[in-house]
Amino acid sequence: MKTRRIIIVTGSSRGIGHDVAAHFLARGDIVHGCSRGPVTSANRRYRHHALDVGDEAAVVAMIREVVARDGRIDALINNAGIASMNHALLTPAKVAQDIFSTNFQGTFLFCREVAKAMLRRKTGRIVNFTSIAHPLRLEGESLYAASKAAVESFTQILARELGPTGITVNAVGPSPVPTDMVRNVPRRKMDALLSRQAIPRFGTSADVVNVVEFFLSPASEFVTGQVIYLGGVSG
Amino acid sequence: MNAEPTPEKIRQVILRTLPRAEGDNPAIFGAGASLDSLGLVNFLADLEYRLAEAFGCEVVLASDRAMSRRRSPFRDANALTEYIMELLTT
Repeated sequence: MKTRRIIIVTGSSRGIGHDVAAHFLARGDIVHGCSRGPVTSANRRYRHHALDVGDEAAVVAMIREVVARDGRIDALINNAGIASMNHALLTPAKVAQDIFSTNFQGTFLFCREVAKAMLRRKTGRIVNFTSIAHPLRLEGESLYAASKAAVESFTQILARELGPTGITVNAVGPSPVPTDMVRNVPRRKMDALLSRQAIPRFGTSADVVNVVEFFLSPASEFVTGQVIYLGGVSG
Repeated sequence: MNAEPTPEKIRQVILRTLPRAEGDNPAIFGAGASLDSLGLVNFLADLEYRLAEAFGCEVVLASDRAMSRRRSPFRDANALTEYIMELLTT
């Protein structure tokens, strides 16, 4: 019999986050999702929290609420992210601030608060989201890639800080998945990007779920501080 | 219904949360204290949850205010009590 896990998925209203949450729900887990706006779900094992992931007080309140309600958190899937594709010289400071607030500060705040809850049980799995935009040094995505580089560095150091506690921290770096985030990229640019992968095709949410479940597996307790890119991209 | 936080009630929660609490004002972190840095992390994380359970308050103990002080509020039970009261009342 499978254990019913308590899992937090950030950015669960659409895209990969939505599909990852749907996978856990289909498996029988309890999922606490979040996004800026409200979401209604018919699934009674899904609970939605409307918040900005970069808002410290809101994140603290959400995690306390999850622990008060379900008693523990087994896994955190830190998927929430935004992108803004533009030349660095044409990027307003506010855009840079927003990207780092969601992609890095949001990841940091959820890791910090969830790890505190996991420390009480000396076990837990954290999976952060990076992107192949960082290792491929994609032009036009300098701020996005820089925020993901920060996530990777944070993931690897947090893994060491939490190493003795039974909590693992890893990251998955999806190749482009046809979601809203990549929909506005011109086809020519997308083809050029896919040709840089060892396996030149779009990724799918199922590809991402596969890596996430690997990190969540009880057998992966000795795997931490790792970054896995999809599509055959190397760091 | 949650209890009203008072310095003495907070001090008692601190003493119950500390892995080893000897005397009225045990050292927590620093010279003469029993906690190393990972021990402090564990203790503060546990204390935040116990404070929330006891008083219904959501505090983040490792705040800017704590980290920017010349004298750490985590040095002993009395200093930490005073600091938590300050967080709850300002």
